[in-house]
Amino acid sequence: MKANWQLFGGLAVFYAIMAVIYYYVGGEAVGITGMILAACLAGMVGFYVWFTQKRIGFDIPSDDLNAEIADDAGELGFYSPHSWWPLPVAVSATALGLGLIIGWWLVMIALGALVLSIIGFVTEYEKPLPEESHAN
Amino acid sequence: MTTFAERPTVAAPRQGVQKTSWGTQFVKTITSTDHKRIGYLYLATSFFWFLVGGLLALFLRAELTRPGMQFLSNEQYNQIFTMHGTIMLLLFSTSLFIGFANVIMPLQIGAADVAFPRLNMLSYWLYFFGSIQTVAGFLAPGGAASFGWTAYAPLSSSTYSPGIGADLWIMGLAISGLGTILGAVNFITTIFTMRAPGMTMFRMSIFSWNVLLTSILVLLAFPPLAAALLGLESDRLFGSHIFDPANGGAMLWQHLFWFFGHPEVYILALPFFGIATEILPVFSRKPIFGYKGLIAATIAISALSVAVWAHHMFASGQVLLPFFSFMTFLIGVPTGVKFFNWIGTMWRGQVTFESPMLFVMGFLVTFLFGGITGIILASPPLDFAVSASYFVVAHFHYVLFGTVVFAMFAGFYFWWPKFTGRMLNERLAKVHFWTLFFGFHLTFLIQHWLGIKGFPRRYADYLATDGFTEMNMISTVGSALLALSMIPFFINVWITRKSPMVNTDDPWGYGASLEWATSCPPPRHNFTSMPRIRSERPAFDLHYPHIKTEGHN
Repeated sequence: MKANWQLFGGLAVFYAIMAVIYYYVGGEAVGITGMILAACLAGMVGFYVWFTQKRIGFDIPSDDLNAEIADDAGELGFYSPHSWWPLPVAVSATALGLGLIIGWWLVMIALGALVLSIIGFVTEYEKPLPEESHAN
Repeated sequence: MTTFAERPTVAAPRQGVQKTSWGTQFVKTITSTDHKRIGYLYLATSFFWFLVGGLLALFLRAELTRPGMQFLSNEQYNQIFTMHGTIMLLLFSTSLFIGFANVIMPLQIGAADVAFPRLNMLSYWLYFFGSIQTVAGFLAPGGAASFGWTAYAPLSSSTYSPGIGADLWIMGLAISGLGTILGAVNFITTIFTMRAPGMTMFRMSIFSWNVLLTSILVLLAFPPLAAALLGLESDRLFGSHIFDPANGGAMLWQHLFWFFGHPEVYILALPFFGIATEILPVFSRKPIFGYKGLIAATIAISALSVAVWAHHMFASGQVLLPFFSFMTFLIGVPTGVKFFNWIGTMWRGQVTFESPMLFVMGFLVTFLFGGITGIILASPPLDFAVSASYFVVAHFHYVLFGTVVFAMFAGFYFWWPKFTGRMLNERLAKVHFWTLFFGFHLTFLIQHWLGIKGFPRRYADYLATDGFTEMNMISTVGSALLALSMIPFFINVWITRKSPMVNTDDPWGYGASLEWATSCPPPRHNFTSMPRIRSERPAFDLHYPHIKTEGHN
């Protein structure tokens, strides 16, 4: 359905119009910049959704008024059952912020930990599954 | 020869009843990717911050009871009101929205989980550690940040606010804000891609719509805040001159802060409007009046909310008064439409006053007062007269306490059976409501007159000859009642922890949205079976198939 990208597109147009109005009534630079950036953000999301919708080429069952629940049958997708990785990513991100305040030594440690934990987070399910886990 | 297949049994294993050790539970919780469990973590953590922020508020009220300094120094008072504001707005209310959205929204759209379960947990941990870092200033030498939650430049510079507490405040908020942004991305993606078949955008519950629009506002508002905070921190640490008043930094900060700050008010309000909109039809035994009108009003509020920020800066004398005054009046219109729809929903309905409905009534009354004073403050001549006085304090407490706290408890009582499978006690809920309601209004109604008489906000003290004493004493008594009203709630949660399971999908009997079509509490991936979705009330259509809902397409 069109509602998704129309929502974002509409917001983008509205923010752009507001930026123009604000400029003409004599607004200051921060607000004009802010509203233009808001329009760009909404426009970007709207464009991406429109583009994706067009590429798929048909209504997904979620957007079909007469869809049956069975239309979406099949594999729903992969869901991580549980994960340790969010915790170290957040701890090292917080340590990075703390390090800026209390000393560069902590920034160095936190930066390394952050890079490692982001790699862990991203690649957690990248490795091929071992053979025996396919059995069930 | 006859072949037969065994009929599938639909006895879903119930979550949470199997006995597990505390250690297993703990590890399961901290590594969870289940949107409901993460939602409960969010709700519990933000409720904890609500209690901390409330305790700080009691310190403020106690200090103001009588003229003269009672037990706090000026600096301590400044720290406490700063952290009270910060905790209540950013650590409690914002994450309470994420908590409710996490638990309820995927159920309402018929999704198995959110789109990015691990990102969801990352958001929570960023919020968790960020919030601790924000408040950790209390333990730091020099104390916590003391420049008000608005952190106006140049007061927040390293010259006027030295000390590590301010830095911790800035970085903590930047980190927890990052978590909020990631949460918003998650919700938008979930709503766009994971709705059940037939659950079109215009069949989605109002709460889910409000979650979507709130998440959009988060995407628009939190990056400017992050930019402002990191700029401020760079000024403090590296001596940059972004917010140096010599080159207009004072106004730059105010514009950036309120470009975030006003949408933030709607980020706090919209999801709780959504909770109220979920509850009203259930206890009025009527469908929502004007479903599409409500959505249109919410979209209008989200659109307009980025064009009203400078009404917080009328008194600076450097903003376009007519533009911002007009836009602010304009945003009152969709809010009025919402009230019209809420009243229309109850109109000629079979209204019953179970506890969730009672709290929604409290929300309607309180928020209406706040809305009316908001219209007063939108007019610059009136704003000049009461700006930075207790009138403004009363106004935003009516708006925010009215929406966030009343609707939060409404949501707790409403969805408690969905969370836990057990009902909360109605009698205690009513005690809770009336003490909260009278406590709140006793505390804050009088502050309107206090402000008109001229008591400025953020002052730690006043003179006996000012004539503020009686009103301040009434307000403090009210705040004590307000604080005591939490006790019935805790007793309620405690005594019903082992009450019988409801064993039905819809214990309120008239639930409309999809979360009432699954068990209480729902299984790990939410649904063992799902009804066909043909209107915006799929659970109602399932339970009352003989009544046809007027379909919105």
